Amino acid sequence: MRRVWYIAKRNPLIFPALIIILFWLLAAVVGPSRMAFSYTAMDMDHQMTAPGMGGHFMGTDSLGRDIWSRIVFGSRSILTIALLTSLFSSLAGVVLGFTAGYFGGRIDALFLRAMDIMMAVPPLVLSMVVLGVLGNSNILTLTLIVSIAYTPATARVARGALLSCKNIEYVDAARLRGESHLYIMFREILPNTIGPIIVEVTARFAYSIMMVASLGFLGVGLQPPTPDWGMMVIENKTIIKAAPWAVLYPSLAIASLVIAISLFSDFLSKVVIRDQ
Amino acid sequence: MTSKPLLDIHNLNVVYETPSGSIVAIRDLSLELRANEAMGIIGESGCGKSTLSYAILDYLPPNARRSGSIMFNGDDLLLKTEKEMQNYRGDRIAMVYQNPYSALNPSLTIGEQLDEVTRVHRGFPRTQAREESIKALKDLSLGEAEGIVRRYPHQVSGGIQQRICIAMALLCQPDIMILDEPTTALDVTTEASILDIIGELKERHRMSLIYISHDIGVVNKISDRIAVMYRGEVVELGPQEELFDHPRHPYTRALINCMPRAGVKKETTRLNTIPGYVTRRSADERGCPFASRCEKRNAVCEEIYGLREIESGHLAACDRAYADDVSEKKAAIPLVPKAKSPAGAGATGGWSGTKDSSAAADAGGFGTVGPDTATTPLIRLEKVYKYYRNRKRTVRALDGIDAKIEKHDVLGVVGESGCGKSTMGHLVAGLLAPTKGNIYFEGKDISATWQRRSGDTIRDIQLVFQNPGRSLNPSFSVEQILDRPIKKMLKIRSRRERRAMVIDLLKKVDLGEEYLSRPSTRLSGGEKQRIAVARAFVTSPRLIVCDEPTSALDVSVQASVLNLLGELQEQSHTSYLFISHDLNVVNYISDHILVMYLGRVCEYGLRDEVVNPPYHPYTEALLSSAPDVNPSHKQKPIRLEGAPPDPSARIVGCPFAGRCHKKIDDLCDTTPPPLKRLSETHYIFCHLSEDHLKGSAHL
Repeated sequence: MRRVWYIAKRNPLIFPALIIILFWLLAAVVGPSRMAFSYTAMDMDHQMTAPGMGGHFMGTDSLGRDIWSRIVFGSRSILTIALLTSLFSSLAGVVLGFTAGYFGGRIDALFLRAMDIMMAVPPLVLSMVVLGVLGNSNILTLTLIVSIAYTPATARVARGALLSCKNIEYVDAARLRGESHLYIMFREILPNTIGPIIVEVTARFAYSIMMVASLGFLGVGLQPPTPDWGMMVIENKTIIKAAPWAVLYPSLAIASLVIAISLFSDFLSKVVIRDQ
Repeated sequence: MTSKPLLDIHNLNVVYETPSGSIVAIRDLSLELRANEAMGIIGESGCGKSTLSYAILDYLPPNARRSGSIMFNGDDLLLKTEKEMQNYRGDRIAMVYQNPYSALNPSLTIGEQLDEVTRVHRGFPRTQAREESIKALKDLSLGEAEGIVRRYPHQVSGGIQQRICIAMALLCQPDIMILDEPTTALDVTTEASILDIIGELKERHRMSLIYISHDIGVVNKISDRIAVMYRGEVVELGPQEELFDHPRHPYTRALINCMPRAGVKKETTRLNTIPGYVTRRSADERGCPFASRCEKRNAVCEEIYGLREIESGHLAACDRAYADDVSEKKAAIPLVPKAKSPAGAGATGGWSGTKDSSAAADAGGFGTVGPDTATTPLIRLEKVYKYYRNRKRTVRALDGIDAKIEKHDVLGVVGESGCGKSTMGHLVAGLLAPTKGNIYFEGKDISATWQRRSGDTIRDIQLVFQNPGRSLNPSFSVEQILDRPIKKMLKIRSRRERRAMVIDLLKKVDLGEEYLSRPSTRLSGGEKQRIAVARAFVTSPRLIVCDEPTSALDVSVQASVLNLLGELQEQSHTSYLFISHDLNVVNYISDHILVMYLGRVCEYGLRDEVVNPPYHPYTEALLSSAPDVNPSHKQKPIRLEGAPPDPSARIVGCPFAGRCHKKIDDLCDTTPPPLKRLSETHYIFCHLSEDHLKGSAHL
C-alpha cells in the first residue's frame, strides 16, 4: 500500500483519472433514476436549446431530447459492454494463449498462424462487417463480437506472459510431483502472470469503449432509441453548426472515459509489473 | 608504502531513498588506496561492496545520495559535474563487471568495441587503434588476437569475454582498475588463469586494483590489503596475510570459518555458520553493524563503532574475535564417524561388483555390475547418452557415461560448466530422458521422464534446484509450498494432519511455525533453500538430486545449508547426487566423487582417493585451481589453457587431451583412454601409468 501511494505521488495524473472513472461509474449505476428527463422525452418547447436553458443542463438535440440524460443513460450500456468485453476477451485470451504457449510445438505454431490471420483484419472492420450482416445489434451481440475481435491480441499477451514463467524451476518442481498440465498452467503459472494480464484487461477496457463508440458512430452499434455515445455524435452531426453542444458533450464523455482508463491502466502497470 | 594515497575515501555515506524509507548502503566509510596496491574487498551480498565501486564512479541510481569525500590525486570526485566525471571514467578509473556477456555489445565485433576505447579516450586513428587493441589482447595471453578481433562476443567463451573486458579497461591506461566479482561467473580453471593475469598486469602497468568478491579464496590470491565490509561499513582492514592469520573482528573470523576448505569433511567437522542474515540498515541505527549476529556481543556493542588501529597497518572495529572463545569449539565439533550400514558396504564392495568381472571392466564395461543383488546400487547409469539436436548441430551433453550411487551415500559430481553434470542430474530426476542408454533405480529401469514414471519412483527421487528464488513459486506461502506435495504425493486428505506434517518439516530444517503464512518472496536466500530442502524431504525419498544447491548463496548461508544437508542425510539415510562446480564443497559433503569432463567420466572413487594422488590430470588441474582459503598454502599451480572443446564436435581420443598438461602425443588424440582400476573403488580413464598420475597438487 505504501508503495502504491509512493508511485501515485510521482504520477499525480492518477487522481483526476480516478475521479473521472468514479464519476462515470456512479453515473451509470445511480444516474438514470435521478434524471429530470427521460432519454426519449422530446421537449418540443426546447429544440436545440443551448446548455442551461429550460432546465437542460447540457442543452437538447434537434428533437428536444435532453443531452445530459442521454449521456448518463448511455454510460450504462457502454460501460457494461466494455467491461464484459474486456473480461471475456481476456478470459478467452488466457485460455488460448496459455494452451498454445504451454504445449508449444505444433499447437503453438497453429495458434500463432490463426491469430495472424485474425489480426490481419482490423478489429473494427471485422466487428463492423459481422454486425452489419447480423443487423439489429444489442448488448449481447456487441459484447460477443467485440470480445472475439480482441481475443487475438489478449491471447498473445497471455502467451508471452506464460512463456516468461514456463521455464522457471518451480514449474519443473511441480512436474516432478506429477501435477497435471491444468494445475501447472492455472495454479502455478497464472498467479505469477496476473500482473501483465490485469494491465491488459484495463487497457482492453479503454479500447473497448473506443470500439463501441466507433461502432455506434458507424451506425452498427446499439439501435435507436437506446442512447449510445457514438450514435449521439453522428445523429447530431447535421446540426453541428446550430447546436455544437449536441456533438461536443458526447465526444467529451467518450474522451474523458477513455483517457482516464488509459491513465489508470498505465498506473496499474507501474504498480504490478515492478512487483514481479 | 608511505606514499600519498592515490584514492582517499573519507567518511563516505551513500543513502538510498525508497518508498519504505531511507536505506543506508554505505556508512562513514574511509579507505585509502595507494599506488600499485591491490585492495581486496570482501563481504556477503548486500554489504555495499558494489555500491562502493559505483559510488566512486558516480554510477549510482538517481535515488541515491552521497556525502563525504572521495579524493583522487587531490581532487574530490564528489564535487565533479557529470561532464567532468567523464574524464575520470575509463581514463583514470576503469571498471570490469561481473558478467562479461552483458558488458559486451553483442552486435559489434570484439575488435570494434576495443578500438572504440582508444579512439574515443585517446583520439587514435583507426589503424593505430586496431594495433593497440591487438597488443592489449596479446598482453592478456590471448594467443590468436588477430582472429579474435573479427569475432562477435557470443563466439568466444566466457573466460575470453572477461579477458576482453579487462583488455578494454587496460586500453585506457587507467590508474585504478575496479574489478567487481570479475570471476564469479566463470569456472574455477578459467578463474585461476584470469587471476594470474590480473596480478601480472598490475605489476607491469603499475596500476592499483580494487578487487571486490564474496570469495575469500579469490581475494586472498590477488590482494595486498583486504577490507572486510559488513552492512556498509569497513569492519576490518589489514595486510592480507595478517588478516587471515589473525582476524580481529568477529565477522571476519566467522566468514573465514564458513568456507569449506582443505581437510574439512562432514564426518569430522560441522561448518561454522553465522546466525541470521544481512539486514537493511535504516538511517538512525547506531552501534556495531554486526552486533545482532555476533556471538561475542556485550553491552558496549550497541554504542561504539569505528575503526581503530590494532596493530600497525591493521585496523578493526572490534578486536573481540577470540574473546571468551566458544566458537573455536563450535567450529570444530568432532562428530562420531558415520557408521556404514550393511547395505552401504556395497560402497566398498567394488565398482564393478565381483572381482571376476574386473577383466570385463578393464575392457570398457565400466558400469557392469555382477549378478549379486547385495551390491545393487541405488542408481546405476549404464552407457547413458544425452544429445541435444537442432538443425545445425548436435550437442553431446552426455557421451556414454556410467555411474552409480550407493545406498545411504553421497556421490559428488564435479566438473566445469558444460561438462554435463546438470544434465546427468536432470536425467536421474526425470526432467529429461536419455537419448540412449539406461538408468536403473534398484535394478528397475527408469530411463524416462516424469510423465512415464510410476508414482513410487517420483516419490523416491526428488530434486533440489540451484536457485531457490526460482524453484519456489513466488505466489505461494511457505505452507502452500509444503502442503501441496503432501496432498499430491502422500495423498493425505486431513488438513490438520497435513499442517502438523508441514510444521514437522519446518522444524527439520530449523525454521519455526511463524514461517507458515510467510510468502516465499519474503524469505532470505538461505531460508528459501531450507524450504526447498524441506520440500524435497516431504516424501522421505531414497535419493535427492542436489543441483548446485549452494552456489547461489552467500558463504555463511552456504555453510548452514551444507550442515543441514549433511545432518538430514545422516538422520534419514537418504542418498544424494550432489552436483557442484566447487570442489571444496563436494569434498566436504561427499562419500564418493565423480569427476566429469565434456560429458564423460574422468575419475570415480571414494572422496579421499579422488582428492589425493594418484589422480586424473583433469582432477589435478581442478584441485590446483581451487582458491585456497589458507594463504600459507603455496603450491605450483597447474593452469588449463583454453576452453573445453566444442561439445558438438566428435572426439575420437580423450576429450581432455587438448588441454592436458601430461598429454602423450598422438596416443591421447587418437585412442579413447582405457579404464584403469587403481583400487576396488577407484577408477580413472587415462593412458598414463599409475606413477605418472601421482601429481604434485594436494587438497
